[in-house]
Amino acid sequence: MIRRHPGLVAGGVLLALIVLVAILAPELFTVDPTALAPARRTRPPSAAHWFGTDMLGRDIYSRVIFGARVSLAVGFAVAVLSSVLGLAVGVLAGFIRALDAVAMRAMDGLMAIPPILLAVALMALTRGSVQNVVLAITVAEVPRVARLVRGVVLSLRDLPYVEAAIAAGTRTPMLIWRHILPNTLAPLTVQATYICASAMITEAILSFIGAGTPPIVPSWGNIMAEGRALWQVKPFIVFFPAAALSLTVLAVNLLGDGLRDALDPRRP
Amino acid sequence: MWRYAARRVLATLPVMAVVALFVFSLLYIAPGDPAAIIAGDQASAEDIARIRISLGLDRPFAVRFGEWLWRVLHGDLGTSIFTNLSVTHMIGQRVGPSLSLMLLTLLLSVAVAVPVGVLAAARVGSWLDRLVMLAAVVGFSVPVFVIGYGLAYVFALQLDWLPVQGYVPLAQGLWPWLSRLILPTLALSGIYIALIARTTRAAMLEVLGQDYVRTARAKGLATLPVLYLHALKNASVPIVTVIGLGVALLIGGAVVTESVFAIPGIGRLVVDAILRRDYPVIQGVTLLFSLLYVLVNLGVDLLYVVLDPRIRQ
Repeated sequence: MIRRHPGLVAGGVLLALIVLVAILAPELFTVDPTALAPARRTRPPSAAHWFGTDMLGRDIYSRVIFGARVSLAVGFAVAVLSSVLGLAVGVLAGFIRALDAVAMRAMDGLMAIPPILLAVALMALTRGSVQNVVLAITVAEVPRVARLVRGVVLSLRDLPYVEAAIAAGTRTPMLIWRHILPNTLAPLTVQATYICASAMITEAILSFIGAGTPPIVPSWGNIMAEGRALWQVKPFIVFFPAAALSLTVLAVNLLGDGLRDALDPRRP
Repeated sequence: MWRYAARRVLATLPVMAVVALFVFSLLYIAPGDPAAIIAGDQASAEDIARIRISLGLDRPFAVRFGEWLWRVLHGDLGTSIFTNLSVTHMIGQRVGPSLSLMLLTLLLSVAVAVPVGVLAAARVGSWLDRLVMLAAVVGFSVPVFVIGYGLAYVFALQLDWLPVQGYVPLAQGLWPWLSRLILPTLALSGIYIALIARTTRAAMLEVLGQDYVRTARAKGLATLPVLYLHALKNASVPIVTVIGLGVALLIGGAVVTESVFAIPGIGRLVVDAILRRDYPVIQGVTLLFSLLYVLVNLGVDLLYVVLDPRIRQ
């Protein structure tokens, strides 16, 4: 396994460790990530504050560790939500011709809006919260999943085994459940991994430019946004959340690439 | 060929129509009262009523959409709630820095990624190939603002080779302009290079296995002409496609890069608009960048005809 798919194993192990850190956050020598201590502002890393303190005296180590929860939650939630919605749209469009044209034109239009701007426009009209960030990023990701699934459905529909099932009188819902859905699973899983990675980056970008989670939430994008004004003199405020974010996204991407290779039947 | 071109041009119309409808409808489908959210927490009832009227939320959807679309088609993207200036005017003032950044990034990315992808495909399985693929995963994973801060820290703060941030128009000299764009361009190129290099490698691998490449080699052609004249030309359709699709990443990345490097471009305009909840500005920029994206990909579609004559029907 390790020799055939080193990326898959490395990404999986790394991601499992990060998930563990997120779950065990309160036990990992952290303090309250929102506790203010104005007297200890912008202290460099030390024995008491491993990653230093931010402009409000909050412990950056604790904020970065708790930030893993926000990033992972947003990444997983967007990946699951957009997969389910995209799967529904894609399967329906692939099976119902009347719906296909309309649904796919709508998806084309959505896809023509650069994802970050789409999320920014949505966030400008709602109150900043983790749920709204998840929804905004999901809207931008659904069309990509729908296209992928529709493509798979169309390529399957003409295969002899599907025609045979139709000829044998299988009803459409059963046909979809037994013969179509199982075949969308592999490409969908790979796509969901990539969506998870890109959603974590988008969340950080949204928070960084002030259109994401409320500043009180210790998300990696928020920590970087707070460090932005001071980064030339106190680079450590930006450095630690940036490193955590990059490492997590790298783990998910390695996992995605590994899954793609492992699930591809054409590869030896 | 002309029929293909006409069909592609016509196909962009429904896409832009959906974009316009969606960008406009956001005001209506967003949960809560957009006028109250835009007005902010300290707003009085009069403020909210004023914003509701200026956004046209007091009138029926279809009427408002019709009027809005008519004005947009005449180049009027509305008026900023905050500055009372026309959105078209505000965008016009800031288009230079953003275009400079995006064009330089496009040039650099293609110039680096295509040769690297070709080389990786030609030496598939070698350490060079592995290195390129590893670099591509890293390029996909490190967000643009992280690369930006990293580059600025090393090359501007520590080594003092380049300015930390800011922008100077090209009219004030080539070097002052270029020197401030080098770091932002490098930062923004990261993910774009990764994307193009990976696609180039994959497309080249498909082509290099084909008979005519073996024939070209068998008749004694040198490696470079085989790679760049015979193979790359036939691998070019997916590469050009991904360059076009990647423009969406470029646009999103520019918003962030301009914030990191304090470049007064359209991205910076959006970020300022978010802080002021200036929705007409966000709406106008979203619409304009979507149009740019659609037009770039229309250009890509038309380029297919030149690259691959089989696509003409």
